[in-house]
Amino acid sequence: MSLDTRARQHNARPRIHPNYPRRMRLADTLQILAVVSVALVVAVFLADGGAARISTPADAITALGIVTGLVGTDLLLVMMLLAARLPAIDRAFGHDSAMALHQSLGKPALYLILAHAVLLTIGYALVQPAGFFDEVWIMFTSLPDMPLAFLGLGLLIAVVVTSLVIVRHKFRYEVWHLVHLLSYVAVLVAIPHQLSVGTLFREGSLQRYYWLALYAGVAGSIILFRFIVPIVRSLRARLTVVGVDQEARGVVSIRLSGRQLRSLKAKSGQFFIWRFWTPGLWWQAHPFSLSAAPTHNSLRITVRGLGDASSTLPRLPVGTRVSFEGPYGLFTDFARTSPRIVLIAAGIGVAPIRSLLETATFAPGQATVLLRSSTVDDTYLVEELAALCRARGAELRIIAGKRAPGTSSWLPGDAVRARITLATLVPKLREADVYICGPRKWTDEVVRDARSAGLPTRQIHFERFDW
Amino acid sequence: MRARAVSLATLASLSVLAVGWQVGAQANASMQALSAPQAAPATIPAPSAGPATPTPAATAPTVSGPATTAGSAATAPTAAASTAAAPAPAAPAPAAPAPAARPTGTFTGSSVRTPYGPVQVSVTIANGTITEVTALQLTNDGGRSVAISAQAAPILRSEVLSAQSAKVSNVSGATYTTRGYLTSVQAALDTAGF
Repeated sequence: MSLDTRARQHNARPRIHPNYPRRMRLADTLQILAVVSVALVVAVFLADGGAARISTPADAITALGIVTGLVGTDLLLVMMLLAARLPAIDRAFGHDSAMALHQSLGKPALYLILAHAVLLTIGYALVQPAGFFDEVWIMFTSLPDMPLAFLGLGLLIAVVVTSLVIVRHKFRYEVWHLVHLLSYVAVLVAIPHQLSVGTLFREGSLQRYYWLALYAGVAGSIILFRFIVPIVRSLRARLTVVGVDQEARGVVSIRLSGRQLRSLKAKSGQFFIWRFWTPGLWWQAHPFSLSAAPTHNSLRITVRGLGDASSTLPRLPVGTRVSFEGPYGLFTDFARTSPRIVLIAAGIGVAPIRSLLETATFAPGQATVLLRSSTVDDTYLVEELAALCRARGAELRIIAGKRAPGTSSWLPGDAVRARITLATLVPKLREADVYICGPRKWTDEVVRDARSAGLPTRQIHFERFDW
Repeated sequence: MRARAVSLATLASLSVLAVGWQVGAQANASMQALSAPQAAPATIPAPSAGPATPTPAATAPTVSGPATTAGSAATAPTAAASTAAAPAPAAPAPAAPAPAARPTGTFTGSSVRTPYGPVQVSVTIANGTITEVTALQLTNDGGRSVAISAQAAPILRSEVLSAQSAKVSNVSGATYTTRGYLTSVQAALDTAGF
């Protein structure tokens, strides 16, 4: 009887890996906490009689100015948490999704803070009464800590403007990053005026402690997960370069050796942010994915040198010390939901695909590897992929050919004309998790193909590296 | 976000906001209730045993003291200000202590609570004329309210001096300071039997 039940359950619905509901519960919880934190600061304002106190239009403008400031600051803190590399956030959303959310919150937060400044100036000016700019001057000179607050506003504008994608490409990444660090200063110098000018966080009030605890929590997370954890891990692992293998022109595999690497709990498909301690490279950090399954004493990455100093990576001397942040990312077997697996790579995107293939859970015949390139020759790690596919019973297909100009498909022009899609390439696609790694636009096109084949979001995995 | 997360987040946020609103409304109601009885001294004519004509020198108010330095008999008007503690029923003396026709002295008003901190003033009266109003304590919760009360206090002082009463108009934008200030002035005037 119990056998019958099991059989029926199995037929009713393909088994979803228990990791998935657990991960989604975590994601839901984090999202709800973020939304409620916004509601909570508004509620604190209301509880303090903020709305009941409104009796004139000037009061209303002032109140709105306070609320925009509270919500904007709360969003800034959420943004900083998203960038703090919290393990829970990485496990629930993946680093790239967290950073995408971080980016999308930037402008709203800035607009709210700007509204805060403008509305309060208008509200105060109406009461004085004074002109707008006279009031700015009055605030600047007569209210405590306002010069610092204005400085914070200026810095915030600078940070967001330099972060807008167009400007970002005009600067070196490191310059942009340096400017970006000013956002921490902007948030810090805004604290005094919140405590001294505002009446909401007056001394001894409960909400003052809540507000300060928020700041302390965010600051603690940043210090712990962006600095202490990476430094401690790097010191303990003592990674050094033990070999650099030429894979193709400009593409190398870097073999690293260290100790106690199991404690990192790194998984195939994850990436680290690496720093190679040579004279020309130490000031740059690069995200590179593992191209082989991690062991207790070795890691391997496969890298294509692009433009900047990373083009000197092929000449990396053996014995170079390596520090790192990570491992990060959800491009792993941990995110699996279904029994079959499809791994799709283009260009250097083959690196995490290669390590995933090595350790992902699947039975012979349940895995397909699709390698996409312009010509058969410009593929990397093909021999390794072929050997792994043979050993594990996976199918390897290399799809070579130029894309037809003006079309938006991830497949070559002739394949498009022959109406070939992901669904026709892979048998039983609906029972598979699809992992995609390659250039951004190409990745988007594969994702679109997978969606139109009817795959739910939970079965489509991809990672971006353009944050 | 999944639908479940959206609905839960909405629900939680709305509840949090509703609770905040409710607490705020209650706090505001109790705040008004609190300041109302403190304005009441107007109806309780100085029940203290204090003489109607204290010597001005003896009543120099302690700046820090929100009417708690009732220990010394010399500060009788101050003690009178804290009417709540004053033994109203214990004073069988009927009616007001028949104020002298022209009160003289410095009289401390009650400390009036506002959402931005307590407000208290003292009023100096010479031969039935209000000659000075001194702010002992003004709204001080946060730099903004310090700035507001610093701006409003001189206006209120001169208006009280020219009107010779606490019945002057509101200083716009400083509603709470005005209310507290004038309530305290009125309490002081009542004490003086003005």
